[in-house]
Amino acid sequence: MTTPAHEDTHVGHADAAEHGAYVPPTGWHRWTYPGWLRVLWTTPLFAGIGIGLVVLLRWAASWHPYYKGVPITTVELVTIPLGFLVGIGGFDYWARYCSGKPTLPEDHSRHGARSWRDYFRINTDHKVIGVQYVVTTIAFFIIGGFLALLFRAELAHPGDQYFNPQTFNALVTDHASLMIFLFIIPAFAGLGNFVIPLMIGAADMAFPRLNALSYWLLPIAGIMLVAGLFVPGGGPSAGWTCYAPLCEHQPLGNVFFNMAVQWAGASSIMTALNFLVTIITMRAPGMTFWRMPLLVWANFTTSMLVVLATPFIAGSQFFVMFDRVLHTNFFEAGNGGYVIGYQHIFWFYSHPAVYIMLLPGFGIISEVISVMSRKPIFGYRLMALSLLAILVLGFSVWAHHMFVAGMAGWLRVPIMVTTLLIAVPTGIKVFSWLATLWEGRIHFTTSMLFAVGFIFSFVIGGLSGIWLGAVPIDIQANQSYFIVAHIHYVLFGGSVFTIFAGIYYWYPKMTGRMYNERLGQLHFWLTFIGFQLTFFPMHYLGLQGMPRRVADYANRFAGLNEFISIASFGLGASTLVFLYNMIWSWAHGPAAPGNPWRALGIEWQVSSPPPIFNFEEVPQVIGSPYEYGVPGARHVIFGAPQPEPVGAD
Amino acid sequence: MRHRASFWQLALVAAVSAAVMIVVAYAIPWLPYPASREAGRINFVFWYAEWISIVIFAVVAAPLVYSLIFFRVKEGDMSDGPPVHGHTGLEIAWTAIPFLLVTSIAIASAIVLAKNGRAGTDPLRITVTGQQFAWTFTYPNNQTYPILRMPVDRHVKLTLVSKDVLHSFWVPELYQKQDAVPGLPTHLVVSPTRMGVYPVICVELCGLGHSTMRSTAIVMSQNAYDAWYANATKAASQPAPGGANAGLAVFNANGCSACHTLTAAHATGKVGPDLDKLKQEAAGAHQPLDAFIKQSIVDPNAYIAPGYQKGVMPESFGQSIPAPKLDQLVQYLASNAK
Repeated sequence: MTTPAHEDTHVGHADAAEHGAYVPPTGWHRWTYPGWLRVLWTTPLFAGIGIGLVVLLRWAASWHPYYKGVPITTVELVTIPLGFLVGIGGFDYWARYCSGKPTLPEDHSRHGARSWRDYFRINTDHKVIGVQYVVTTIAFFIIGGFLALLFRAELAHPGDQYFNPQTFNALVTDHASLMIFLFIIPAFAGLGNFVIPLMIGAADMAFPRLNALSYWLLPIAGIMLVAGLFVPGGGPSAGWTCYAPLCEHQPLGNVFFNMAVQWAGASSIMTALNFLVTIITMRAPGMTFWRMPLLVWANFTTSMLVVLATPFIAGSQFFVMFDRVLHTNFFEAGNGGYVIGYQHIFWFYSHPAVYIMLLPGFGIISEVISVMSRKPIFGYRLMALSLLAILVLGFSVWAHHMFVAGMAGWLRVPIMVTTLLIAVPTGIKVFSWLATLWEGRIHFTTSMLFAVGFIFSFVIGGLSGIWLGAVPIDIQANQSYFIVAHIHYVLFGGSVFTIFAGIYYWYPKMTGRMYNERLGQLHFWLTFIGFQLTFFPMHYLGLQGMPRRVADYANRFAGLNEFISIASFGLGASTLVFLYNMIWSWAHGPAAPGNPWRALGIEWQVSSPPPIFNFEEVPQVIGSPYEYGVPGARHVIFGAPQPEPVGAD
Repeated sequence: MRHRASFWQLALVAAVSAAVMIVVAYAIPWLPYPASREAGRINFVFWYAEWISIVIFAVVAAPLVYSLIFFRVKEGDMSDGPPVHGHTGLEIAWTAIPFLLVTSIAIASAIVLAKNGRAGTDPLRITVTGQQFAWTFTYPNNQTYPILRMPVDRHVKLTLVSKDVLHSFWVPELYQKQDAVPGLPTHLVVSPTRMGVYPVICVELCGLGHSTMRSTAIVMSQNAYDAWYANATKAASQPAPGGANAGLAVFNANGCSACHTLTAAHATGKVGPDLDKLKQEAAGAHQPLDAFIKQSIVDPNAYIAPGYQKGVMPESFGQSIPAPKLDQLVQYLASNAK
């Protein structure tokens, strides 16, 4: 292989272009080629531009002092990540396009992974991006969980032991923010990224470069949240809900929270757009909407939720930042601001966000339960329609977080009715899963254990959700530990269990290796038991009068809190089993066959891991993906004569 | 081997699940004993939803547990289940029945909510003020106290206001809760039915001292309440020489007792430094007593007493307390310092 003389020519070699092999540039070109060396100088450059811009504008307006911390920090949290993205190569293609340079549409040099190094580059392969997402989100899951163990240590006894209130509040805030914005939401985006194109028979996502960019926004948001903890003055400490006006008078760390939410939100919106276009336009021939696997349905509805709702949280965080940096008065009551307005805008995203964190999980559970019970999914069409019902109803329930907030009184009863009605489509899903299990041939793989553990925990979380939906009960339970119990039954017993189910289920497909089944089952039982012991007692604490987000509490709650803390350490330790299993098996596990679960889905009809462009031949879908037990039934065939054109129906 | 499902076995599992739920529901006193008329009604909704939950949980747990026991197969079993795709009747049933159940919860809740909002024709009106990090209670005599006293068996209408950020007023035994919102007065009705001393808790994260923002609600007999109220009103109308009463009123109105101990004001807060020992602290800060007290109120972070933390005491008292009242407060504290 010859040394490229010009940065454009590295793809000029026929063999490189054909198979997309990555040809590293040499000499000083290494500093201009997209990658970490270029990051080394573009990031400080953009940092300098940010500082220069603020100082210049303040000088031009004669505002003293010219050099001021808060506005500079805010601007830097935009320009430094931009510099990083420019360096890593997030904008190269579009930059060429905009500047009139020839673009490289057939450039596959950044497609697929041949060594572990390729996972640390801009990569346009949905499978590589999927793995990047999942690994990154698990890293933030570990950090977020560790923060929880820290404040559980503090909460083991009443009074102040290890952390002052500022640090305690920052730990609580960062734990929730990392788990929601950096783990659950993007973990589903990652699993979806890997499997959705395979499941619908597409070669990749609709916009591979956008896909790569949306991944790289994620570590930016995560590092920003974690860095916020170490900022002078203290981390963001107004809770993940960041209610105004408290959050407007927080230490500098809160600006990090405001901006991290923007980066994570942008990533989320871009991925959702990508999913929507991919699912609508890139299904294989024969893949009608009523033949789509339920995970595809789930990602379809979730993506609509993300696209429609996420701009609202972006707005709420921008307004808070403007109030602080530009001295506007969105939420400052003394100057005509509307304090409750913050909550309306925030929850108009953050309640649909609960479904963003659940619907993909529902999809995963449908896949796992059908395959592991060897039965068709029960009531397929109602399962798909109930997702759409949740999507529509999900936009009409935001104010149930505000029953005691002092909002317009008449709004309580209508919001209560819609909130309770959401139990109906959710109930349909649970009953359909049970009917799918009924008389099945149930194989208890780790993914199935997590699926069943999910149903059990999620039903408890759903029932406590009905209680909270009823305004009178909510008045007693709101803002107490009952809420903490409910949210963890829904988002841990719910979402996190489904993520684990999904990771174990597709692990062979993603890595090409089998995980250790015994360790997987050990992980499940430790997690399941640790989870129940940690969170079930919190229902009682809350109803009895223990508020959430307190470092210190009444002495009568001491015994139970100590018990919860000990259980939570066990729960934390269970993650070590998971990590060991995942890492060890990825390196040393036995090679995975293409279809270890004898599943009908398209993703299982290709090798593990799949070939670089997924399919040698265009798949032809001829039936439902869940026809287990139907003699001779197939979901997909390869090598059939192709009707044209290939595309949406 | 294929297992044939037995209805009676399934019913048995359902009965056992329901029994477990009923034991969990009744053996543990989940809610505090209701101490207000509103609490009694909320308790009814709670148990109504609880019974629906018990039934639903049993209906879900029975087929789940049953399937896990009887339909699991050994590793290597290659058979498939029966290809059942759905059952229209069942699907209609599990759409319609939950719909009816949750609608009935909504109706019961709406009725209770409407009843709990009624304060009758002549409620006792008390203004509850939330501020970082204290609750204060202003009575019709315009006097402000750090403790909420209410007569039993009378409607009390609370008006909640906030001086700074969001707070949320909660008395778990009364089952009533409402946020105090800056710039927007909110309302809450409580009708205590049981005499006793109950905690008042802030449940909306309001800053570094949030977990210490607690007070006390005392529900007393009508006679005891009348006696207290008459005494308190009389004391307020007869200023003691030297403005000591005026200083005490400022002390109470600003919630100082939530965090500080001061024997003269019967204050026992433990969050901030003990105000009985102000002379010692002033000596530690090498300042004259009056100047030290004033600075500590207006600019609390200027000197931090050993063992306490910066940033917990709000910095807003310099603006919120008018200068003459501030002087009364400083004088009052200086005269009671030991």
